[in-house]
Amino acid sequence: MKLSEVFFPQDVDEILELLKKNPDILLMAGGTNIVGSQPSRIIELPEQVASIAKVKELRKTIRTEQFIEMGACTTFTGLLSLAPASLPEPLGAVIKAIGNRALCNIATIGGNLCCRNRFLDLWPFLSCMEAQVEFRSPSGTRWASVSHLCGEDGEPLIPKASILSRLRIPLYNYDFVYYRKLGNSLYPSADTAMFVCMANIVRDKVEDFRLVFSGEKAFRLKDKEMSISGKKTTTPKREIRGFIAEYKKAFETMELFDSRPFTALLEDVFARLFL
Amino acid sequence: MIIDVSVNGIQRHLKSRNGDRLVDVLKKELGLSSLTADCLQGRCGKCLIFMDGRIVHSCLIPAFKARGSSIVTFEGIAKKPEVMDIEKAFQLTQTQPCSFCHTAKIMTIFDLLSRVPLPNEDDIVEALDMVPCPCSDPIGLIQAVKLAAELRNKRKFNREA
Repeated sequence: MKLSEVFFPQDVDEILELLKKNPDILLMAGGTNIVGSQPSRIIELPEQVASIAKVKELRKTIRTEQFIEMGACTTFTGLLSLAPASLPEPLGAVIKAIGNRALCNIATIGGNLCCRNRFLDLWPFLSCMEAQVEFRSPSGTRWASVSHLCGEDGEPLIPKASILSRLRIPLYNYDFVYYRKLGNSLYPSADTAMFVCMANIVRDKVEDFRLVFSGEKAFRLKDKEMSISGKKTTTPKREIRGFIAEYKKAFETMELFDSRPFTALLEDVFARLFL
Repeated sequence: MIIDVSVNGIQRHLKSRNGDRLVDVLKKELGLSSLTADCLQGRCGKCLIFMDGRIVHSCLIPAFKARGSSIVTFEGIAKKPEVMDIEKAFQLTQTQPCSFCHTAKIMTIFDLLSRVPLPNEDDIVEALDMVPCPCSDPIGLIQAVKLAAELRNKRKFNREA
């Protein structure tokens, strides 16, 4: 077996230098998903790995009245240790459900968002919450919506030769939050997926409606969300059934998951949101 | 590759290959018998260690990531009075974890009581989730942790009879 070469950058500039030399280098912070999903005694790693967990710049947290911003190497425990009021609902509960304390002491938010072969637990929530991520590359720095970590084909799209350095979560709570995790394995498998829906109820109207389903691929219909936002909670059942049918049809066309649990959850969401 | 690391207060230079898991290196290089690399997925908790003060699954950590860290295993805390409190609470409540998970359960309780001096049932259940070995009665375990907390606080504040 070929051994990989390991680097220990001390700051983001050194990480960028490594990325410039080798855009395929694996940036490893917690590494729980990479290591835990391998049953073999020896962990298989790519040719070059950079251990970035101890880079201080990637662990800083800033809180303002509007948002909380944290470095990508913040562990889940680090995130949970913030004052409960600092963390918008339901993120705290979602993180606690990811794994036990010993796992949350290692796993990082950046690692959870940068999985290349599927979407992990945080992405659908942060996508609904319109969180932002900062990417740094040898050519510059840019902020983008977390939703942009999903390509047009619904698969994860992690920019190459760059590092996800920071995450900015708006401090805004939704009136209606609904989520279910499908599958019960500790590490994601083909039957693991997340269903998330968030909305606000303003004067008997459903506002800011968002619905995301994610597993190996992600599913979100932004135009449909726009047409549902603004509907009265007393919208006729016939119209609601129309929305459900359209969602179901689009979901089946994508062929990303068994449509039966999706349809059941969809019906449950609409039954709770609309009277 | 040589990893410079402090293990139980002693500076060590551990030999490792880049794909080695930390649990294997600690066992192989230092012969630490409290560690077991069983599930390799962070499920069983038999490889729990403290790394830079935080409890972690050493099977989930590539050995190279421990570079410059301070590691404490069960051997490093075994003689502490806090561990004696836990052992005494096990005896008094007649809760004896099996030989496979005994040290791991002590590690989790030690971690819990150093963070939360008076844990409630939810705290205890959450902590014991790190070592899901079904050998002991969960209600007895919760009683043992509560008693260990009591013994610890009595000792700490000189309230012993």
